[in-house]
Amino acid sequence: MKRTGADRRFRAVNIVFIALLCLLMGFPLYMTVSISLQTMSEVYASSPKLLPAAPQWGNYPLSMSTGSWGRYFYNSLLVTLITTAISLAINSMSGFVFARIPFRGKGALFALVLLGMMIPPEVTLFSVFKLVRSIPFAGGNNWLGQGGRGLMNTYAGLILPYIAGSFGVFLCRQFYLGFPRELDDAARIDGCGRLAQFVRIYLPLSGPVLASLGILKFTGTWNEYTWPLVLTSGDAMKTVQLALTSFRSETEILWNQMMAATLVSGLPIYLLFFFAQKYFVSGLLAGSVKG
Amino acid sequence: MESYNRRDTRAAWLMLAPFLLFFALFVIYPLVMTVYYSFTNYNMSAAPGWVGLKNYQRLLKDAVFHKAFLNTTVYALVSTAALAVLGFLAAAALNRTTRSVKWIRMLMIFPYATSWAAVSMIWLMMYDPTTGLINKLLRLFALPTRQWLFDESLALGCLIFVHVWKNIGYCMLIYLAGMQSVPQELYEAATVDGASDFRKLISVTLPTIRPVAFFVVTTTMLEAFKTFTQVHVMTGGDPLYATTTIVHQIYQRGFTEFRMGYASSMAVVLLVCVLIFTAANSAINRAGNGGQGA
Repeated sequence: MKRTGADRRFRAVNIVFIALLCLLMGFPLYMTVSISLQTMSEVYASSPKLLPAAPQWGNYPLSMSTGSWGRYFYNSLLVTLITTAISLAINSMSGFVFARIPFRGKGALFALVLLGMMIPPEVTLFSVFKLVRSIPFAGGNNWLGQGGRGLMNTYAGLILPYIAGSFGVFLCRQFYLGFPRELDDAARIDGCGRLAQFVRIYLPLSGPVLASLGILKFTGTWNEYTWPLVLTSGDAMKTVQLALTSFRSETEILWNQMMAATLVSGLPIYLLFFFAQKYFVSGLLAGSVKG
Repeated sequence: MESYNRRDTRAAWLMLAPFLLFFALFVIYPLVMTVYYSFTNYNMSAAPGWVGLKNYQRLLKDAVFHKAFLNTTVYALVSTAALAVLGFLAAAALNRTTRSVKWIRMLMIFPYATSWAAVSMIWLMMYDPTTGLINKLLRLFALPTRQWLFDESLALGCLIFVHVWKNIGYCMLIYLAGMQSVPQELYEAATVDGASDFRKLISVTLPTIRPVAFFVVTTTMLEAFKTFTQVHVMTGGDPLYATTTIVHQIYQRGFTEFRMGYASSMAVVLLVCVLIFTAANSAINRAGNGGQGA
């Protein structure tokens, strides 16, 4: 095809734009890696050091020894994995009900689910905190939920509110709506109940939506900052995100170790991102295509 | 009229039970309680006492809250406008399938997958007045350096820039999906008519992805209303409340001063803003689509 002068100029502008974009996006990330491998005197040098003279791999173990990072990773992984597993089970089952089972009041109930998606968790932050603190019989509470600290500073307290989100229900419903109706007929002939129909026929076909939703939920829970900040106190229950930001309160900021910790803190997310990018992307997009 | 099978109805409610339990307990009940607390003087140590509209009257006179409200509005408007435009341009530039483009796209989504805590650490390093890379580069080119996050007139802008940096990949991704669903025939027809590539972008791509742009604006705006972590980690609302936001004020009043009743009234204001914005948005969208809905 023949290219006009205007098209060629447009392409040139395009390429310059892409180059600028890459520089802007990539430079801070590159510097994070570079500084994590520099000595502190290189960090303090008045001219920018783009490359460490000799990579200081020791910064990584050093940064991990400034706190109980093993414990922080254990906390974050435990909370994230349990949250993801329970959410997937509950969301897919509820999505199936909303997509496939007719019952009175379904429309109104689903409207409530959509409304729930609009309420920012930040709005109810304190009330959820109060509720978790007042769970009866937990953490020294009496049967009225008074007197003790409830589920504050516990894994259960961290996990429970994460499970309540309704976005996953919406996502699974959209997915199941696309299934052919014949599947239901086949199940009926086999004499399956609704639960069996979900478990035996729908669930085995749910791989893609569960992968997408699972990755979104995993990433969201791992990256969560505000809830652990208000719910936990002390070092033992710190999540990775909380531990990372407490690097700042030290008297002298060791930027090289801080950048090393920053990179390590995202490790599980980066692994997911590189090995399951397809599902990561389709999860993000699934949220954008409303039915 | 659909007739309902009783066994189906029972199965439906049983299977929904776990979800409804969590939803009622951790979404609906806290929502009701937040509204209730906003009319009380609750402070965690004594039982909440009813004070009527006093919290809301105080909000009207609270200069710090006004500042927070203004900051949040500026933050939301500027970051949304920037993301809507830059996201579109990035998607248009990267709308092909060569291998290098795939890597660039991945690079752009990378900050989006990274947590706000980590992104805040990265930009604390970049903005630092003495050891930060931005000032070092400015010094290298003999340009005047700035105090960035410590400068009252620059701090909010610095945070908005980070917000755009983190989210641009997400916006690009949504736009790209929209662009790939634009019918190929439209481009072919435009080519036959002798349209240039630039012309095609303006006259074919832009109008057909209008609903996508709408979605990007809505989600990024709602995200910006909730700004907290980056403020808490990077500036703590300083200097002189230049970067404090509504959610940051909720946290400060509620969890450091334990004025839960007052903090709840701020939360209600935030909720009302979000709901009005969402309702207005879907009304505009419906009107724009000739009553077809999103």
